[in-house]
Amino acid sequence: MSRKISYSAAINEALIQMMEEDPKVFVLGEDVAKMGGDFGITRGIWQRWPDRIKDTSLSESAIIGLSCGAAICGLKPVPEIMFGDFLGVCFDQLVNNAAKMNYMYQGKAHCGITVRTPHGGGIRCAYHHSANVESWFMNVPGLIVVVPTTPYEVKGLLISAIKSDNPVIFLEHKGLYNVKGEVPKEMYELPLCKAEIEREGKDLTIVATQIMLEKAHQAAAELEKDGISAEIIDLRTIVPYDKETVRNSVAKTGRLVIAQEGVKNGGWASEISAMVNEDIFEYLKAPIKRSTSLDSPVPFAPGLEDYVGPQYDHLLKCCREVMEY
Amino acid sequence: MALSKERLLKLYRDMTLIRQFEDVVQVYAANGTIPGFVHLSTGEEACHAGIVEALRKTDYKFPDHRSHGSYILFGTDPKLVMAEIFGKSTGINQGRGGSMHVSDLSCRNMGFNGIQGSTMVTCLGTAFASVYNKTDDVTAEFLGDGTFGEGTCHESMNMAATWHLPLIYCLINNGYAISTRCEDAHPQKHLREWADGYEVTNYGVDGNDVEAVVETVEKAAQQCREGKGPVLIEFETYRWQGHFAGDPAAYRPEEEMIEWKKKDPILVTKKVLMERENVSEDELKKIDSDVEAEVNEMLKFSLESPVPEIDMATKYTYSDREVEAR
Repeated sequence: MSRKISYSAAINEALIQMMEEDPKVFVLGEDVAKMGGDFGITRGIWQRWPDRIKDTSLSESAIIGLSCGAAICGLKPVPEIMFGDFLGVCFDQLVNNAAKMNYMYQGKAHCGITVRTPHGGGIRCAYHHSANVESWFMNVPGLIVVVPTTPYEVKGLLISAIKSDNPVIFLEHKGLYNVKGEVPKEMYELPLCKAEIEREGKDLTIVATQIMLEKAHQAAAELEKDGISAEIIDLRTIVPYDKETVRNSVAKTGRLVIAQEGVKNGGWASEISAMVNEDIFEYLKAPIKRSTSLDSPVPFAPGLEDYVGPQYDHLLKCCREVMEY
Repeated sequence: MALSKERLLKLYRDMTLIRQFEDVVQVYAANGTIPGFVHLSTGEEACHAGIVEALRKTDYKFPDHRSHGSYILFGTDPKLVMAEIFGKSTGINQGRGGSMHVSDLSCRNMGFNGIQGSTMVTCLGTAFASVYNKTDDVTAEFLGDGTFGEGTCHESMNMAATWHLPLIYCLINNGYAISTRCEDAHPQKHLREWADGYEVTNYGVDGNDVEAVVETVEKAAQQCREGKGPVLIEFETYRWQGHFAGDPAAYRPEEEMIEWKKKDPILVTKKVLMERENVSEDELKKIDSDVEAEVNEMLKFSLESPVPEIDMATKYTYSDREVEAR
């Protein structure tokens, strides 16, 4: 386990290993074959399997629709949508087709597609290439939405996603593509719909995903200086999320701060907050806090984007406020 | 090209079954026994019977919202289709889908998505799978003239033509998208002209002439099976009922209906059978009464079947997990 590779290399390795293992796995999307994808994630596949990776026209609905149709024939499509924001173009296929096929066919056919797409801010590309799109899918039973953070997680979760018979929206974070970490060379699976306790603590729970985890660790280190022990949960899957891990942690610490990169209104942080209030209110020692982006589109100029986006200082302030309540 | 007497008799029977099935559904939708709304295929029997006749059971079929006629001919026991429309537990989809969502994978009825144009791109996937798996199964996508307003039609034809997918677009043009006349929503004289722009082979057919329907779909299927790419067929026909059962269709001129009823596909076929094939009227009446008895049995079965158990309501939302209780 001493080998370090990047998040993007870990995704590439997972795809290649799944294609080696299962001839039903194929890839399609815009510029994925000859070019290897806009972010280079699918590089090297076309050279090995020219018939199992297809460059498509700019047709997001057709990419997802074709994937759904092929999946119910038993194939394992792994479509790439170039940017998460473009999921809006094929929203109908995701929420009305993919999400409902298992139900529609009474489990006799499955829509086991894995829709890979990069999302999230920080690359200075303004409001149509920077959104956090996971909360768009909070309200759609039938879908699984995965948000991997480390290279280790992204490989294990992608393999599980492709093997799953459920439709998975696999949201890679653009800001993490170049982050390196230890990744086993062999294939392995990490469970979907399971959160991971990244740091144990007793005074405060911070639930976070992707780039917010680093901020959460930074805050935990800062709080430790004041003798405050923070527990950090990496949610890994947003829909359906791991309620039990969150509940157990908050029941122990009595305080909860949710660090969500995306906009505040109606986000997954709101759902977790509502769930904790409903289920374990009596354990709470302080009101729950959410630290998020502002309810605004993502602007272009770096100073503006940073202002709208999630703030470490605000996260730390939220943690202090719940401790001081 | 004339079909054999035996085949034409079978098609006469199929079309009579559709007509009588829809007549019963209409009565029980109107009196409130059938929940929700239903879209009847009355008047379009030749399209449904002819398309199904020309396809194999192993071909993938994506019916549309007005497809009771096809559902009952794909290979599913028609009484299970009727029970589904009645929302009963014995329905082919256990009463969870209803009129618009009848599917049966055993005969590759892949079902309708409920949203116009949605399966226009799903059908790419089954066609793609046939190529990927090196089988010669074709995919038939049913759509109406209204569907052609959806952007997915462009994406679908563009991709299917580029990749030579074995896909037959069965465009049943009944002249109306609910109340909007085709010419008020589309500039083409014939919608099939769209296909020219995508270099998709296309044919126009009298959708009330079942022999022409069978012949054209067989020709299209052959082209697809030979790997020569998709085909679009525009069947010109007319729906006798409103958009849904209960819609009085006041937006249509009365004389239009009178003209189309003269071209009743069942009467057209009856005439051919009697005049060309020397079939006696008594023989056809016997078919009519046999079908009537069969449909009455379906109705009895549907009315007497129990409603679905509540535990079926959320089952199969995911392949491997249950929905949390309230």
